[in-house]
Amino acid sequence: MTLESVIADARSQGRTILTEVESKQILHDAGIPVALADLAGSAKDAAAAAEKLGFPVVLKVVSPDVTHKSDVGGVKLGLASPAEVASAYDEVVAAVKKAQPQARIDGVAVQKMASQGTEVIIGMSKDPQFGPVLMFGLGGILVEVLNDVAFRIVPLEPRDARQMVREIKGFPVLEGVRGQPPADLEALEKLILQVSEFVEAHPEIEELDLNPVFAYPDGALAVDARIVVA
Amino acid sequence: MTQTTAPPTDLQKRLDRAFNPRTVAVVGDKRAMGYLWLNAMKTFTGKVFSVQVDPSEIEGIEAMGVSNYPSLGDIPDEIDYVVCAVPRPVAAKIVASCIEKRVGAVALFTSGFAETETEEGIAAQDQITQMARDAGLLLIGPNCMGLYNRRLGVRHSTDQAAGDAGNVGFISQSGTHAINFSLVGAVQGVKCSKTVSFGNAVILDAPDYIEYLANDAETEVIAMYIEGVKDGRRLLRVLRKAARCKPVVVWKGGATAGGSRAIYSHTASLATAPAIWDAAMRQAGVVQTESLDETIDAVKALVHCKPTTGRRMGLIAMTGGQSVVITDAFEREGLEVPLLTDGSYAKLAEFFNIIGGSYRNPLDAGGTIGMGFAPGNLQKLLDILEADENVDAVAMEVGASFIARRLRENPAILDMMVDTLAKHCDRSGKPFIAIAHPGHVEDVMADIRSRLIERGIAVFASFQAGARALRRAVDYRSDRHLTA
Repeated sequence: MTLESVIADARSQGRTILTEVESKQILHDAGIPVALADLAGSAKDAAAAAEKLGFPVVLKVVSPDVTHKSDVGGVKLGLASPAEVASAYDEVVAAVKKAQPQARIDGVAVQKMASQGTEVIIGMSKDPQFGPVLMFGLGGILVEVLNDVAFRIVPLEPRDARQMVREIKGFPVLEGVRGQPPADLEALEKLILQVSEFVEAHPEIEELDLNPVFAYPDGALAVDARIVVA
Repeated sequence: MTQTTAPPTDLQKRLDRAFNPRTVAVVGDKRAMGYLWLNAMKTFTGKVFSVQVDPSEIEGIEAMGVSNYPSLGDIPDEIDYVVCAVPRPVAAKIVASCIEKRVGAVALFTSGFAETETEEGIAAQDQITQMARDAGLLLIGPNCMGLYNRRLGVRHSTDQAAGDAGNVGFISQSGTHAINFSLVGAVQGVKCSKTVSFGNAVILDAPDYIEYLANDAETEVIAMYIEGVKDGRRLLRVLRKAARCKPVVVWKGGATAGGSRAIYSHTASLATAPAIWDAAMRQAGVVQTESLDETIDAVKALVHCKPTTGRRMGLIAMTGGQSVVITDAFEREGLEVPLLTDGSYAKLAEFFNIIGGSYRNPLDAGGTIGMGFAPGNLQKLLDILEADENVDAVAMEVGASFIARRLRENPAILDMMVDTLAKHCDRSGKPFIAIAHPGHVEDVMADIRSRLIERGIAVFASFQAGARALRRAVDYRSDRHLTA
């Protein structure tokens, strides 16, 4: 599954938004740390995928018509056994069908549940004059309310990533507050630079969202990903 | 300090011809404009020609001693730089004759193009753009004031200085700001090397001029006023490269919602979201400013102050109240006002007048140094701060207001103070700035400012302005230090 073939596939289906499974696979191939997801088309497939990935796992509905998966019961967390996964699969499909009967359901994404880290977001959008622009901020509700984000124009230099991470008002959270260990800032900067390089190499990508990325004391991992192509 | 970034490209060589012309032709100057262009070019060291076909105008032109020709093609000499001041309907014809004459460059003062947001304005702009592009003509503008070279006396205002060389290049999307920067800057000690007002930027855009001034040995600091740019990525690339070889100050117009509407009507530029613009400028490592005053102030600090990455201030004020607020002003800008060394305190204790004064830092020194006019003690204070290892830079209030009337009667004491400060600045390895607030006897304050400026000292009109300008210079040097 190369980036070109994924994009060709999506276009042939009239889509410009890649699925979470597709997006993550492409990012993974580019060396960006993501929590990979497998697409399962049945409860049995889902249980098998979970056994391959390792427990506990998360299930998320894959549908081009569903924007907010958890609002329609399309997400199940912390599933610890094949049996739990199989029944969760059926529950997810039933819940989405009930909430949005007309939604097309391509299956369910199975992903190893990542341990909780400090939530940050990394995004890319395009500016008419400056082209691709990266955005960095803390995740969660505060980023929306306070608009506490930093921008840089692609391609970034190491200095830019370094300054970007430190520019947000919430930076002390990443340095560790109330006994929390500090986040691995180098890993975050590296991730930002990898995304910059990836975006620079692929002008056909119009938008990219890694939301959330978990920042750990050692490393960082994109837990959800969304790519929009031209 | 000036170093060049790269070998000059063909475009850079051609721009060099336009910026340093041997011949200038003015097309379409007229009495109704007070022969603005031909009068401005009176200081030009090379040859000036006029092109005008209206017989009622030619007489006045020839009375000025300028040779007039019916067309560019009739001028016997090669022409390095053309100013075109004809009405819009004639502009395309002049562009065609510039192409035929193979002139170095043409600046179109003519306006009424895309900035009018009318169909015919846009069509006229498209036409001249296509002509210039096809022929490879260097077209500056339209809707601009063109070039100023102070050394050669190529001007667009008769108020602009000419003759001696300056060291600050200014690039402006607005003619007014280009003129004002050169005029207001000049009286504040900021002398332009070369400036360009580039208007609608149909052929040559801001990055072309930035590259040119980055390579120009005469230009030590670049400042610019910009409303928008077509290719943001190129702007960033070029700015980043320029800022690594010399300081660049960028004043962005149209940074607010209302302002961005106004820029479209002014130069037909598209707005960029403020947060994106800010990010690009941070990446470029340039100094950002928001007004003409701030731009001149920042340039002043960059041109006249010794470079430092240190943020610790030694502050001298004349009274207790000023000592408090000068400290607030510098700390608000993120500069520090530390305690001095024990060695400094021991020296200060020997002579500092603590009745109505204090010397922890800030130094409330009016009594000790006779409001700045007891040069012996002033010299001692400056020497102590110079030697103090806790101090990176010095700012001093020139609080002459109280004794302004005495100064008017006895300007010799003013000379002594200015001389003490100027000699100190020459010897010192640390940045020094003076602050001379507007006073109730403003002619004396203006006199003090201009005497300090003449001696190459950076003078500011308020503590806030001085603190901000110095902080910007320190930020620039620190940023350079990080990326070096």
